[in-house]
Amino acid sequence: MNHPAIDMSGVGKTYRFFSLENIELKLPRGEIMGLIGPNGAGKSTTIRILLGLVHQDHGDVRVLGHPMPAGQVAAKWDIGFASEDMRLYESQTLGWHMQWMQSIYRNWDSGYAQRLLQRFGLRAEQRLKGISHGQRVKSTLLLVLARKPKLLVLDEPTTGLDPVARHEILRELTDVMRDEGRSVLFSSHNTQDVEQISDRITFIDRGRIIDSMDKEMFLDRWRRLRLEAPFGVTLPALPGVIGVRQEGRMAIATTNAFNPGLPHAYEQTGARVQRIENMTLEEIFVANVERSREEVEV
Amino acid sequence: MNRSLIGELVLKDWRLYRPMILSCIVAGVGALALSQWGNEPTLVVGAVGFFIAIIMAGTMLPLAGIMTERKNKHLAFLMSLPITFLEYTTAKLISTLLIFLVPWLTLVILAISVIEFRNFVPHGVIPMTLILSGLPFVGMCIMIAAALVGESEGWAIAANVFCQSSYGLTWYFLDRIPVLHNNASKPKPVWDPLTLNILGGELVLILVILALTYFLQSRKRDFVF
Repeated sequence: MNHPAIDMSGVGKTYRFFSLENIELKLPRGEIMGLIGPNGAGKSTTIRILLGLVHQDHGDVRVLGHPMPAGQVAAKWDIGFASEDMRLYESQTLGWHMQWMQSIYRNWDSGYAQRLLQRFGLRAEQRLKGISHGQRVKSTLLLVLARKPKLLVLDEPTTGLDPVARHEILRELTDVMRDEGRSVLFSSHNTQDVEQISDRITFIDRGRIIDSMDKEMFLDRWRRLRLEAPFGVTLPALPGVIGVRQEGRMAIATTNAFNPGLPHAYEQTGARVQRIENMTLEEIFVANVERSREEVEV
Repeated sequence: MNRSLIGELVLKDWRLYRPMILSCIVAGVGALALSQWGNEPTLVVGAVGFFIAIIMAGTMLPLAGIMTERKNKHLAFLMSLPITFLEYTTAKLISTLLIFLVPWLTLVILAISVIEFRNFVPHGVIPMTLILSGLPFVGMCIMIAAALVGESEGWAIAANVFCQSSYGLTWYFLDRIPVLHNNASKPKPVWDPLTLNILGGELVLILVILALTYFLQSRKRDFVF
């Protein structure tokens, strides 16, 4: 019973103009993973493989211990999936959808569904036609959360939401995470949202996973050093530094393996360390993507 | 096969498309009532209205139940349920067929009963009525196949246009077949080999299209939504 919630190994899928290459992804139970990537990076394809809707060309996929796609029915009883482009039946009310879900899922928690209705400010008797995007996303999340899934897979759930709706949804998700047995895969290109709720972060770009680790480790390891170089000297990229941008005497070194010895090492080259800055997840993401693309081009 | 969930999906479609089906039945019954008014123009208008009601049901169901579901992005929601792609296909085939059978059987039985008991047209038109009523059934299966297998609005529209334009044309050619034309004016229905072959052909066509749809869907590896 201690299988990881998600275990992808060596997974590949090739389309005519896009391919997912050698995806290795592991999400232990009870953890929240943020999957960050630009548009077209492969987030949705990865998620569809996880749900068994797209068959991988090669590699092994297990979700909650079930092999995918063969075990998709058994797995999906315990998966709650919501995506930004998911739509409910607009001619019907939210209550109609709730009743329908209740008739399907044994785990449906009516009390929790009623609490979510109140917290999200939704009305069960309201037809879904004409409701706002925020209300639509909240309605979808209500239907997903009240099933009490063991694994939540959220594909860009906060895209297009106003700040208040985003805050409400992220707060609810944070509350949901208090249930330690529940795992979450949260895909987004909005790093702020992911940073707020995730334990682990995985960056994906052009069909490849370019980095994956604990969020705190990411924030800890990545630093930007603002340096002043001696006149006429081009500063090198020391070990652990992934790039140095220099204009005149001013230089910025970005590292993904910061250690206290690094500033000292630069001082030994004659540079003066002006400032050591923490990087936001967004900056780390962009730097990671740029480095990965440079590597691929080389 | 996940029978309970397939059943849930079929029931869901029934709840969603009940009003649509009811409106087709009401339109068909109205047309049949009009056809008995007693003069030729109302008979023709009523007969045409009757077939339009059946064609409407056969067109709206695949378009609303499959194409609009895809276009309105309900598929992501449906496929998050514990079903496979093939089970979804099975549910769609069953629900569209069963739901279509409600207005089709109601209207066809009603039409034959009206011809049989009201005596305002020769009973010889019964076989032709059945043949012509079978065409929208075949057309609906073509539209189901295009919507499911084609996975695009373009294919569904193309199939729809093809079917709609074929009905009138087929009607015209069937009426030009001397045996069928002459039989239609006889006081009793004539079940000659040609009539039975055409009816059998329609049935075989329906089964082949549905089986082919299922086969093609079963070979797909990826579900597009």
